[in-house]
Amino acid sequence: MAAELSRNERIKEASEYLRGTLAEGLRDEITGAIVEDDQQLVKFHGMYLQDDRDLRAERSRKKMEKAFAFMIRVRISGGALTPTQWLALDKVARDYGNGTMRVTTRQTVQLHGVIKSNLKATMKAIDDAVMSSIAACGDVNRNVMANPNPFQSGAHAAALSLARSISDHLEPQTKAYREVWLDGERIAGGEQEVVEPIYGKTYLPRKFKVGVAVPPSNDIDIFSQDLGFIAILGVGGKVEGWNVTAGGGMGMTHGEPDTYPRVADVLGFCKTKDVLAVAEAVVTVQRDWGDRSNRKHARLKYTIEDRGLDAFKAEVQRRAGVKFAAPRKYAFTSTGDRYGWTDGEDGRSHLTLFIENGRVYDRAGGPKLMTGLRRIAEFHDGDIRLTANQNVIIANVSPDNRATIERLVDEHGLRAPISGLRRNAVACVALPTCGLALAESERYLPTLVEALDERLAAQGLVNDDIVIRMTGCPNGCARPYLAEIGLVGKGPDRYNLYLGAAFDGSRLNKLYAEDLDHAGILAALDPLLAAYAADRNDGERFGDFVIRAGFVAASGNGREFHASTGARKAA
Amino acid sequence: MSPIPKTAPFAEEEIDLLNRVVGGASPLQRAWLAGFLAGLDASGAALPQPVAPARPAEPLTIVYASESGNSEKLAGDMAKLARKQGFKPSVVDMADLDVATLASVGKLVVIAATWGEGDPPARAVNVYNDLMGDKAPRLDGVEFAVLALGDTAYAEFCAIGKAIDTRLEALGGKRVADRIDCDLDFAEPAAKWIDGALSKLAPAGEAARSKVIEVDFGKPAAAASLGPVEAEIIEHIDLNSSRSDKETIHVELAFDGAAPPYNPGDSLDIYPENDPAYVERLLKAAGLVSDEALRRELITSRDVTTLSLKALETYAASTGHQYVKAMIDQNEARDWIAGRQLIDLIEHFPIALTAEQLRAVTRPLAPRAYSIASSRREVADEAHLLISAVRYETHGRAREGVASTYMADRLKKGARVRVKVKPNKHFALPADGRDIIMIGPGTGVAPFRAFVQERRAVQAKGRAWLFFGDRTFTHDFLYQLDWQDALKDGALTRMDVAFSRDTPEKVYVQHKIWEKRRDVVAWLDGGANLYVCGDAKAMAKDVRAALVKAYADVKSLTPEAAEQAVRNLEKEHRYLQDVY
Repeated sequence: MAAELSRNERIKEASEYLRGTLAEGLRDEITGAIVEDDQQLVKFHGMYLQDDRDLRAERSRKKMEKAFAFMIRVRISGGALTPTQWLALDKVARDYGNGTMRVTTRQTVQLHGVIKSNLKATMKAIDDAVMSSIAACGDVNRNVMANPNPFQSGAHAAALSLARSISDHLEPQTKAYREVWLDGERIAGGEQEVVEPIYGKTYLPRKFKVGVAVPPSNDIDIFSQDLGFIAILGVGGKVEGWNVTAGGGMGMTHGEPDTYPRVADVLGFCKTKDVLAVAEAVVTVQRDWGDRSNRKHARLKYTIEDRGLDAFKAEVQRRAGVKFAAPRKYAFTSTGDRYGWTDGEDGRSHLTLFIENGRVYDRAGGPKLMTGLRRIAEFHDGDIRLTANQNVIIANVSPDNRATIERLVDEHGLRAPISGLRRNAVACVALPTCGLALAESERYLPTLVEALDERLAAQGLVNDDIVIRMTGCPNGCARPYLAEIGLVGKGPDRYNLYLGAAFDGSRLNKLYAEDLDHAGILAALDPLLAAYAADRNDGERFGDFVIRAGFVAASGNGREFHASTGARKAA
Repeated sequence: MSPIPKTAPFAEEEIDLLNRVVGGASPLQRAWLAGFLAGLDASGAALPQPVAPARPAEPLTIVYASESGNSEKLAGDMAKLARKQGFKPSVVDMADLDVATLASVGKLVVIAATWGEGDPPARAVNVYNDLMGDKAPRLDGVEFAVLALGDTAYAEFCAIGKAIDTRLEALGGKRVADRIDCDLDFAEPAAKWIDGALSKLAPAGEAARSKVIEVDFGKPAAAASLGPVEAEIIEHIDLNSSRSDKETIHVELAFDGAAPPYNPGDSLDIYPENDPAYVERLLKAAGLVSDEALRRELITSRDVTTLSLKALETYAASTGHQYVKAMIDQNEARDWIAGRQLIDLIEHFPIALTAEQLRAVTRPLAPRAYSIASSRREVADEAHLLISAVRYETHGRAREGVASTYMADRLKKGARVRVKVKPNKHFALPADGRDIIMIGPGTGVAPFRAFVQERRAVQAKGRAWLFFGDRTFTHDFLYQLDWQDALKDGALTRMDVAFSRDTPEKVYVQHKIWEKRRDVVAWLDGGANLYVCGDAKAMAKDVRAALVKAYADVKSLTPEAAEQAVRNLEKEHRYLQDVY
C-alpha cells in the first residue's frame, strides 16, 4: 500500500508506547487541555478530551478557554462490577466528575466532566478499586461485552469468563498507563524488550470491538462487533463451544457511500480452548491487513469487504492454527433487556433496572437513581452488571436481601416504565460533551419517545416492544443502524430516519427519510404506526412489517446499505 | 489630542506623560498650571520655601497608620499646615516606625485608621503590636493627640485610634487634645481638629502666631489628583461562566480625552448611586414617596444602607420611638444592627418621618475604590476594573453591595460613571524591574493584570510569578486567556492556581505557596518583591502564615526567626499588600 499513513499512525509511532508528552501536559495548570497529539494518545488510556459545548459561545468573550474536561471510560469486561467497585465509581463521579455516571452501550461506565487537575486523583481511585481504563478507547481492543444477565447461570458464567480472558489477552502491555497516571516508575532508556507482542508499536489501524452472546438474547448486538462469539449450548445449558463472527461495525460518514455499517459474518464454530488463539489471529490479521492510510476505511469490516471473507477466514485459521467447524445452529429472539426479576439456576435472583439512556443521576424533583443504586450497593452481596442497553442489573441477590432491594427500588424511582418503546430506547451521549455530535441525542430522545408514546397509546401499541435508537452523529455508538427505528443526527434538530432492522439484531435498517426535525419525525412515523396497528400479522415486529408492507426496502449488507434508500411508497 | 508638540524640549516619553495630563485638563486646570509654572520660575528657586519662622522650629512627629491612603493624606495635610505655623514636622508611616524612638519625640500626633472588624491597617500590624506590647517605651513628657479614622458601619468603630489614644496615655504621655473619631465623611471634622490640635501643641504663647496663607507647591504630583471625571463604560462582561455562582464584572472605561494619569497598583474611586428600588422602599416606609427632591438626593448622594449605632441613636432621639430607645437603653442595639441596614430600621420601627429626619440617619455616599486592572502603556486611554458583585442574604432579606451592583446591574455598556484615581504608592512595581511574586485570588488579581501589562510594555528584565485562586477552574478562572498569553510572551514567568471547589478538600493560594515554598523563598532571597491583593479577613493572613512556615521549613529556622525573616521583608517594603 503506497498511500500515505494517516496522521494518527505517526502519532502512535512516535509516542513511545502511548506516552507522548502526557506527563508534561498534566503539569500545565493554566490550560484544561492537552496538546493535539496527546489528545489522540489519551484515548488509549480510556479518556477523551471534551469541552462543554453548551458554553462554547460565551467562553472567549469571558476571556476563558473552552470549558475543557475529560471523559473517562472504565474497562469493565462483560459489564460486571462488585458493589465495592460501583461505590468507588459513584464516589469518584461525585468528587471529581459532574456528579453523574453514564452506563454505556458497551457495558462500561463513563465519568464526564473530570478536569485535568483531577485526572490523576480520579485514575488513582479507579485503580484503588481494582479497575482500569486502559484501552477503553483508542485503536485497540475495547471493552469486551458479554450478555450480563446470569439467569442461565452456567452459560452466563462461561460467557463472562470468556469475555474476561479475551480482554486480558488483548490488553495493551505498555507501562505508560501506570507511569502517567499512577506515578509508576519510568523504565530507564525506554522499554527495550517486546512491549506489545500482539499490537506492536502502532497498535491497530482503528478501534476493535469484541462481544460474547448467549442465545436467545442478542442484547450485546453480536453482529455489530468486529469479533463475536455466540455461545452454543448443549443439553442442560452447558456451553459446547462458540460460533465465531467477524466484520461487524456501525460507523459511517454522512454523504460518503464508501463508508457504511455492516453486520458481521459467521466464520464457523470453535471450542472454548481455541478462542484466545482465534481472537489473537483476528486481531493480528487486522493489524497487518487493515488500512492505515484512511481512518474512515480502517475497521475490520472494510478489510473483510476488500480482501473477501474467504481469504480473511483462511488467514485467521492459518495464524490461529485452528480449523473452524461448520457453524452450529443458534436462534436469537431480541436485543432488548429483560426488566424486573429473573431467577437463576442457583437460587439467586437478578433484577434488571431501567436507566433512561444510561444516565445515573439524581434528578431534581424526579427519580434519585444515583442515590438509590448507592444505597443498594452499600449492602448488596452479589454483583452489579451493566447491560448493552445502558441498564443496570442487581445480580445474584440473596433471598434475604430481595425485600430490601424492592423497597429501595420503589423509594428511588427505579421501576421500569410501561411503554414498550421507552423500554427499548437507547441514545448516545452527544451534546453537550461529545465533540463529534451534530445533534442532540441523550437530551432529546426522552422527549421524542414521550411524543411517540401518545401516538402508540392511541393505536393501542403502548405495550409492544419496538426498538428505537438515536445517535447525535453517524458514528453509531448507540448502534442505530440495528434499530427498528433508527435516528441519526445530521445537524442541529435534524435527523435521518432509518427503518426496518430486525428485532433480533441480524439485519440493518434502511434510510427512510432525511433531515427531519421533531415534527417531521412524528409526521413520518405516525402513518406507519397506524398501518402497523391495523395491518400487522400476528407477532410481526415493526421492523419486519415496514418491509413487508412495502414502505422501505430490506437492507442488504455492507455497500448495499446505501442502495434503494428512501420511502418506497406513500405512507 | 496632543497639546504638547513633539518638538518640545522633553524626552518622547515625557511628552507622552505631559500630554496625558495636559490633554485631559480642564481650562481651569490649565490656567492653574500656567500660573504655577510662571511662579516657579519667578521665585528663582527649585522649590519655593515656606516663610521661615523667627525662632527654631518646634519638632512635631506625625505618625499615620493608613490602609486606603486617607490617614496618609491627612498626615501630609497636617504637616503642611504645621510647617506654616512654625513647626518642623516629620511624617512617619507607622509601618516604618521604631516604637523606641517615640520616647524622644516631644510632640506626637497619631492619625490611625481602623480596618475591617477593628483591625489596624495591614502594613501597620507589626508596629501596632509593638506599641501595645512590652517593647513600648515610656512616654513621659511626650505631648500627644490622636485622630482616629473609621467607618460607623462597623461595630468596632475607630477601635485602633481609641486603643492607641489610651495606650499613649498609659505609657505616660500627656494628651493635649481630645481624640476625634471620624467617619467616612472625615474631611471637614478632621480639618477642624487638625487646626485645633496644632494650636494646642504649639509652644505656650505662640498660639496666636500669624498664619501665612500660601499654597505649598513643594508637594509632589500626588496632590495633583484631579477631581472626579466622567468615564464611559465601553465594555462590561461578567467573566465568570454562566454556570458559576459568582459574578465578577470586567469593566473597561474610556475617557473624554486621555485617561487620568494612573500607575499600576493604583485604584479608581467609583462614585456610585443607590438602587432606586431600595430607595423607593425606604421612602415608602418613611412615608416620603412624594418627595421627588429627596428621592434624587438619596439615590445620588446619601449612604442609605449603612446602619450604625449612631444612626439608631439619632433615630431614637429625633422620633422618640420607644422601642428603639428601649433597645439602646437595654444595650441590645449593637446586636440588632449586625447584618441589618437602614431599611430594616425604618420598616421594623415605622414612624412617619420628615425628610430632615430621614436625611439625619444617613451619611454622605462615599466613593468605593477598585484596583485598576490595566496599564496605560497597554490600554492607552482606558482603565479596566474587576468588580465582584456583592449579593448576600441576612435576616431574610436580599442585600446588595451598593457600588458593586451599581456597576454590575445598573450600569451597562455605554453608560457613564464618575471616577477618580486613587494613587497607591505602597503597591507599586519596583523601579528596578526586579523579580515579583504576585498573590491575588479572586478580584485580588486585578492589579496584577496591570502589573503584567506594564512589565510587558516596559520589557522589565525581572521574572514574574502569579498565584491565583477562585472557586472552580472551569467557571471562575478570571482572565484565563490573558494569563495564557502572558505566559507565552514571557510577561509572566510562572503561574500557580488554586481552585477551592474542584476537589473534596479545599485548596487555596496559601497551599500552593506552601507546595512551591522552595522556589518562593529562593525568589525572595534573590530580591523579589512579594505582593498580596484581595481578601484581608482570611486570605492575607493565611498567606503570611504560610510564608512564615515556608521560611521555617526551607531555611530550617525557628518560628521566631522565620517570623523575623518575613518582618524584614515588610520592613524593606518588599512584602506589599493591598487588601480589603
